[in-house]
Amino acid sequence: MEKLTYEKPIINKISAGVPDKFGMGSTIQPITHIDEVPVKELAKQYGSPVYVLSEKTIRKTYQKAINAFKTRYQKVQFAWSYKTNYLNAVCNIFHQEGSWAEVVSGFEYQKAISNGVPGNKIIFNGPDKSKDDLITAITNESLIHIDHQDEFYDIQAITKELNKKAKVAIRVNMDTGIYPKWVRFGFNLENGEAWAILNKIMIDDGFELIGLHTHIGTYIMDANAYGIAATKLAQLAVRIDHKYNHHIKYIDMGGGFASKNTLKGAYLPGSDTCPTFDDYAEAITNALHQSDIKYDQMPMLILETGRALIDDAGSLIGSALANKRLPDGRRSLIINIGVNMLFTSFWYEHLIAPAQITSSYTEDTIIYGPLCMNIDVIREAIKFPVIEKGGLVVISRIGAYNMTQWMQFITFRPKIVLIDMEGKTHVVRENEDHNTMNALDRVPEHLKEIIL
Amino acid sequence: MTFTIAHHIKSDNIKLFSTSLFNSYSQIFFSTYKPFAILIFLVSFIDFYTGTIGFIAVCVTSSVAFILNLDKVTVSKGLYGFNALLVGLGLGMYYSFSWPLVFIVIFASILTLFISVSMQGIIGKYNIPFLSIPFLLGIWIFTIATKHFDALGISERGIYTMNELYVIGGHSLVKVYEYFNSAQIPPFLKIYFISLSAILFQYNVLAGLILSIGLLLFSRIAFSLSLIGFYIAFTFYKSINADITLIEYSYIGFNYILTAIAVGGFFLIPSPRSYLSVGILVPLVAIFSISLSTIFLHFNLAIYSLPFNALVLMFLYVLKYRVSYSPNLAEVYYQYNSPEINLYTFINSQKRYQFLNLTPIKLPFIGTWKVSQGHNGKYTHQNNYRFAWDFVITDDDDKQFKSNGDNLEDYYCYNKPVIACEKGVIEEVVDYIEDNWVGEVNLENNWGNTVIIKHNNYVYSKVSHLKKDSVTVKKGDIVSFGQVIGKCGNSGRSPYPHLHFQLQSHPYIGSQTLEHPISNFLIHRDVECVPVNYQNPKQDELISNTETNKLIDKAFHFVPGQVLKFNVQGNSKFTKLVWNVNITPTNETYLKCKLSNSKAYYVSADNLFYFTHFDGKKGSALHHFYLGVFKVQKSFYTQHYLNDDIPLHQCFPKEYLWFHDFISPFIRLVKSQYKLEYKNIDDIFSPSKIELESSATNLFINKELNKNNYSININQHGIEDFTIKQANKHITLKRIYNNETL
Repeated sequence: MEKLTYEKPIINKISAGVPDKFGMGSTIQPITHIDEVPVKELAKQYGSPVYVLSEKTIRKTYQKAINAFKTRYQKVQFAWSYKTNYLNAVCNIFHQEGSWAEVVSGFEYQKAISNGVPGNKIIFNGPDKSKDDLITAITNESLIHIDHQDEFYDIQAITKELNKKAKVAIRVNMDTGIYPKWVRFGFNLENGEAWAILNKIMIDDGFELIGLHTHIGTYIMDANAYGIAATKLAQLAVRIDHKYNHHIKYIDMGGGFASKNTLKGAYLPGSDTCPTFDDYAEAITNALHQSDIKYDQMPMLILETGRALIDDAGSLIGSALANKRLPDGRRSLIINIGVNMLFTSFWYEHLIAPAQITSSYTEDTIIYGPLCMNIDVIREAIKFPVIEKGGLVVISRIGAYNMTQWMQFITFRPKIVLIDMEGKTHVVRENEDHNTMNALDRVPEHLKEIIL
Repeated sequence: MTFTIAHHIKSDNIKLFSTSLFNSYSQIFFSTYKPFAILIFLVSFIDFYTGTIGFIAVCVTSSVAFILNLDKVTVSKGLYGFNALLVGLGLGMYYSFSWPLVFIVIFASILTLFISVSMQGIIGKYNIPFLSIPFLLGIWIFTIATKHFDALGISERGIYTMNELYVIGGHSLVKVYEYFNSAQIPPFLKIYFISLSAILFQYNVLAGLILSIGLLLFSRIAFSLSLIGFYIAFTFYKSINADITLIEYSYIGFNYILTAIAVGGFFLIPSPRSYLSVGILVPLVAIFSISLSTIFLHFNLAIYSLPFNALVLMFLYVLKYRVSYSPNLAEVYYQYNSPEINLYTFINSQKRYQFLNLTPIKLPFIGTWKVSQGHNGKYTHQNNYRFAWDFVITDDDDKQFKSNGDNLEDYYCYNKPVIACEKGVIEEVVDYIEDNWVGEVNLENNWGNTVIIKHNNYVYSKVSHLKKDSVTVKKGDIVSFGQVIGKCGNSGRSPYPHLHFQLQSHPYIGSQTLEHPISNFLIHRDVECVPVNYQNPKQDELISNTETNKLIDKAFHFVPGQVLKFNVQGNSKFTKLVWNVNITPTNETYLKCKLSNSKAYYVSADNLFYFTHFDGKKGSALHHFYLGVFKVQKSFYTQHYLNDDIPLHQCFPKEYLWFHDFISPFIRLVKSQYKLEYKNIDDIFSPSKIELESSATNLFINKELNKNNYSININQHGIEDFTIKQANKHITLKRIYNNETL
C-alpha cells in the first residue's frame, strides 16, 4: 500500500450535510487522463509544465459546429481564426476538416500560405495590412475585408498599379442590442459609413465586392445578437442588389462564440450558461432564411469561430512548487504555471484539477504562478485539496489564445504536445531554451566584454 | 432574338418526295436504307414492264398524297407507297403491258392510298401498324374487277422471261439469270431465295439472292431472322409431311420471312423472347396459310401476305393487353427502321431515360441526412406506402442524438429546416398536432403535422411529422425549391424525430405513395461524394442536395433560334462552323449543323444536360460534340467523374459492329463508354473559367479498341472552346460570341 500523504491538521467550519446553492458539494474531480493518456506519463515524458492538445476533441468540436450550420443552411464555410491558435499542426487539422484561413496580419498571412492554404481561401481581416501585404493578397486573389477608408485608398492605388481587381468585403459594425458595441473595427451601418464606402467600392473598377463581414464582439453570450446582425447584413445585401444589381456572394458572421469557460465574476458556470453551436446556428440561419434574399442567390455563410472550436481541446499540465499559509490564514498553492503561459487567467476562472487522487478535504486556496510578480495569480479563490510539492495539476479549456498570447517572460516557454486520433503523442512545438532565446540577441562590440 | 424553327420549305418538299420513292421500295422489308431500296428497285426491273408499272404506282401514290396534303413525313417514310408498289407489281406481273393497264394501275394506286390512310385511322388508334393490308384489299378488289376488263390481256411474259432479259441486258444477263436458276444450289437454299423473290411477284433465284444481299446490308438481325423464320417453316412442313418446294407453298414462303422480321426484330426489340415468339408464330402462319388458301381458292384469289398480316397484327394486339410492361419483350416505341438501332437505342434508353419528363424532385432538407428507412422499409414503408423515405441526421458515430436521446432537442434532426423539394403550390397543411415525447407515438393522427405540395397534376410531395407550429406556409401559397416550409419534428406516428418524405399522385394526406426518383443528389461515402441522377436514395445512405453551378448551367443553356458560331482551329477542312439551335413541334430541342446535315437532339433539364439522339454524319464536328458532352451534370465538384453509356451505333465503327449485330439480341460483347471529368474551376465565388474533360471509349470485352478525348472550356459567356483530341490531330472549335442573332 502506498504511503498516505501527510496533511497538516486544519480547523474548518463544518459544512457537512449542507449543500451549496446548486445542491452540490464542491468536490473536485481529479483529471488523471487526457484522451486516455495518463497525465503522469505526459509530464514524465515531456516535462512540466506542458501544453497538451487533443486532436480528437478538435475534430469532434469542429464537426459539431459545422453540422449545426450545414443542416440548417445550404452553403456554409468555416475559416480558421489564426490568431486563436496558429500552431501549424492545429491549423492543419482545421484545414483538413475543410476550414479556410482567417488572418489579421502579414505574419499570419504568410503562415497560412506556408501551410498550403490557396490564396483565394484566405480571408484577410484586421486594421493592420501593410502595402506589401495587400499586394500579396490582391495577387493571390485573397478575400480582403476592408476595415477603414485609408485601407480602401491603399487598395485603390495598388489595383491601379497592378491592373488587377481586388476581391473585397467590407467589415460592418452595428448595434445588435448588446454591450459593449464593437465600433472600432469596420464601418458603421447606422450612421451611413457603410454605405459611403460601399458606394465608393461599387463604382470603382478595381474592386469586386464579394462579401459582407461583421464581427459583433467576443464571448457573446446571447445568440440573438447574431440573429440581429445576420438580419441587418442580409438587408444590406438586398439593398446592394436593388441599387447596383449586384449579388453578394457571402456573408461572414465573424467569430465571438463563447466557449464553456467561466468568465470572472460570472454567477453561473460557463458550461451552463453559454449558448451552444445549435443556438447560434439557429439564430443566424433563421435570420437568413427569413430575409428577402432569393433562394438561388443565397450567399455563402462564413464563420470565423476560433475560441469555441479550440478552447476545449487544450490542457496545461503543471506541478506544485510549494504550499504556503498566508498571514491572513488562507492557504496558497504555488504552481509552475504562471500568467505568462496562461494569459486567459486574467479573465477566466479556469478549471483546475489535481492529476491524482487526493483527499476529499478541500480548503479555500489561492493559486499563484511561479513568476516573481505580484500579479501572477491563477485562481484567487478555489476550494482545492492539498497537493504535495511535485504533485501534478491540470488546467482545462485553455486551447484558445494561450498558445499565441503567451509571453516569454522570466522563463522559457514549454513544449506543446498533440494527442492524435489513435492516442499517440507528438511534440508539435519544442520548448525554448537558452540558445533559442539568445539567437536573436545582438550585443554591440563594446558591450561584449564585462569584467566584474 | 429571331426564332427560326424549321418549317418545310419548297426544297424540302422535293427532297421528301424523292425520299418517299426510295422508301416505298425498302419499306417492303420495313427498311429505309437507300442501298436496299435501290437493290429492290433493280430486282423489280428484272421484268421490265412490271418494274415500270410498280414505279408508276409509287410515283402516283406519293404525288396524290402530297397533293392531298397528307402528312409529308409519313409519305416520305414510304408507308403509303409500298402498298401501292406491291399492288402495281402484282397487276403488272399478271397483265401484259398496255395503256389501259397504266390507267388501271393509277386508279389502283389511288385506291390503295385511300385504303392505307383509312387503315391508319382505323387500326392506327390501337397503335398497331397496317402492314400490307391495303395491298391485300387493293389487289383483291382489282383482280376481281379486272377479270371483267377485256382490254387487259393476261401477261405471258412470265413464260418468256429470257426474251425480256435479253432486251434489257443482252446475252450476258440471260446467262447470269440462267446460271443462278440452274446452279446446283441445295434445295432448301433455293426455296429460300425463291420465297424471298416472291415478295416482288417473282420466282427466281437471282432476285432472291439480290434481295437477301440487300437484307444483309440493311440489317444483320433482319437477315438472320429471315433465315430463322424460313427454316422454322421448312422444318414444320417436313414434320407434317408437306412439301414446301411445291410452288403453291413456296410462292407464299415470304410470309414466314416477313413474320420473323416483323416480330423478331422490327416491331419488337430483338431479344431472346422475340426470337422465341418467332418460333411460335411461324408454324401458326403456316397453318393459317394452308387453311386460308383452301378457302380463298373458292374465290379464285391468292392469299398473298394475308397469313403474315393476320398473325402479326393479332400478336401485336395481344401484346398491348399485357398488364405490365416487360423489358424482355418490349415493343418499339420510336421506330428507327433498323432492328439494330432499335436494339442499341433501347438498351441505352433502359439505362438512361427512365426519368425522361419526370418532375425534378430534390431532397426536402438542407445538409447531409441519412436514409433511416428507404423504399420497402422494414418498419412502415410497406404495401401502399412502400415508396417513401425517412430521413434523420446522424453524427460520426452513427448516432441520431447527443447525450441520452431522452429529449427531443437531443436529436440532431429535430427543429432543422424542411424545404420545398421543387416548385409548386401548397395543397394541404396540418400544423396543430403536438410533438410526441421520445418513444411515444400518436396513432390517432398517424402523419402528424404535414405539408403537401402540388408540383403538377400527377406529382404531389408530402413531408410529415413536422414540429408543431413550425410550418411557415399556408394552403395556396406558391413555393420554390429550397424555400423553408417547416421544421423537422416528432408529431404523429413518430417515436423519435425524423422526416417522412413521399411522393404521391393524389392530393390527400394518407394517399398511397408513388414511385418517383430524386432528380439529383450527392451520396456521401467515406472520402468521396458521388453525384447521382434520377435514383432512389437507399437505406442507410448519407445524402445531400447538389448545387447547380451557374457557369455550367449557362454554358449548356441553348435557346431555340440561337446560332452558335465557331472558328475551327487545327487540322481541318473548315475554318468556320455554324450550328443552329432548333426545336421540333413536339418540343424536342436539337442542334443542327447545316454543313454536315446533322442533328443532335438534347435535353437541358434542371441540373442535367444530355444528348438523346444523333442523326447525321458520323465523324462530323457535331457528332464529336454529341460524344464529348453526351451528359453533363451542371454542378462542379472538383475531381468528380460522371459515367454513361453511349448507344453502340452512335460511337462504334460500323465494321466492328457488323459481325456483332448477329448476336447482339442475345449477348453484348462491346460497349461505348462516356466519361466526364470536372477538372478545374478558377474561383469559388465568381468563377470565370471551368475546365471539363471527357472521353468516349469503345470496348470489346472490356478491352479498349479506340478512344476519343475531348476538352471543354467554359467562361462567363458560355462554352469558350471545344477540342477534339484524336491520336494524331487536335481540332479546336472556338466559339464566336459577337453578333449571335441572324
